[in-house]
Amino acid sequence: MVRIKNRYIAVQIVPYTPTQSLRLNDHSLAKILLQNVEKYHGAYGLAVIEQGFRVKYINDRTKIAIIRCLHRGQHFVSSILPLITLIGDVRAKFRTLYIGATIIQCNKFIVKHQKQFLDRVMGQLNSAKERQDLFKSVMEFDMDR
Amino acid sequence: MEQTKPFYDFCVPYNKDDSVMRALLSELVETGYKTVAIDQSFDHSKKEAGKRGSEMFPEPHKIEHLRREFQDKLRILQRITILYVDVNVAHAMSVSQNLRKFNLIAGQPKTDAALTHCCTAFNGDLITFDPAAGSRLLVNRKAYQVAVRRGMFFEIKYAPSIADSNYRKDMIKVAQNYCTKGKSKNIIFSSGAAHEFQLRGPYDVANLAFIFGLSEDQGKNAVDRHCRQLFLKAESRRLGKTVMFVKGNGPIVFSDSSEDEQSTEDDEMKADAFEVKDETEHAIKRLKMA
Repeated sequence: MVRIKNRYIAVQIVPYTPTQSLRLNDHSLAKILLQNVEKYHGAYGLAVIEQGFRVKYINDRTKIAIIRCLHRGQHFVSSILPLITLIGDVRAKFRTLYIGATIIQCNKFIVKHQKQFLDRVMGQLNSAKERQDLFKSVMEFDMDR
Repeated sequence: MEQTKPFYDFCVPYNKDDSVMRALLSELVETGYKTVAIDQSFDHSKKEAGKRGSEMFPEPHKIEHLRREFQDKLRILQRITILYVDVNVAHAMSVSQNLRKFNLIAGQPKTDAALTHCCTAFNGDLITFDPAAGSRLLVNRKAYQVAVRRGMFFEIKYAPSIADSNYRKDMIKVAQNYCTKGKSKNIIFSSGAAHEFQLRGPYDVANLAFIFGLSEDQGKNAVDRHCRQLFLKAESRRLGKTVMFVKGNGPIVFSDSSEDEQSTEDDEMKADAFEVKDETEHAIKRLKMA
């Protein structure tokens, strides 16, 4: 029995102009990605990746998302990510952070990444309240959605 | 041996506006590039070939302040892209002094004859393509293999292909042509981005290899190892046949005791065994090629 191989792609969404929220949820992001796959790779590309494709996690505040797709079709997804310039109605680009085979590894990487981000930003804040709020919003990692 | 760190982006177009350059360079730092080359293009075909022996090529732009600003984060090189139509450029290049001030020399042929010359005899390091001119120029198999043997590299710019779907089609066509004609050897990716929004991280660029017909390894090498090779080749072209070289790291001190020889001896000489060995290997390779 061979298990089904998945790939988890951790991406960061970088908007053209800095904004607080992207107004995206996992379903809308998945829809946008599938539309883009169809635009660049056609019906074949869409068909190869559509099964098993899912956005597992998206954080509106830190703009990090995890995309799951099948191992066989990962090229079709990872190769179009740099070409996207419009996400929903926001001008934004994707930055691939990590590609992992299990979601645990992706999680580990993101936690590390966020800690680095916190180290950079914490120094710029003044009050302890703001720091706590930021810490909470950045490190929240809620998987069941 | 000159130290450079991955990743590389060998085409950042020069912009007169410093704030644009700063934004571009800080975005490059953020996405993880360590070595970049600022590009300035020069159209040889527009100049008249009247005066002989005179300087045709422009001086490099002054970017010392940018270098100082990004001292620890980025290594900034300078590159010139020569657009040309016929082989007359070879003579102008051989007499030029200004060309030696650039780290990299790229050729951008406009005609088929120029493309063949570029692959077989051009005294530069890099062959690039103008996405605006479309995909009329396609390299043929013989010329491509000669170029690979000479150690020339071919450049694929990704920023125009992000901006416009026609450019994208043309760049993919050019890239797939490399794939059919010679298994995509000696290819590097570079940005050519005029705005920081068009820049992508090195791993994203490596992923683009899939649509450009390169394998995963080749894609990774196109932003990493091949760029390093290209840089070394360019350095060896600038220095001539070199076994080792000494680079000053501090102010020049003139010593009184030995004024007749080595007047420009430097404070710190860096010439450890590695450097010597590596440059020697390089020189031997060059000799074999010649």
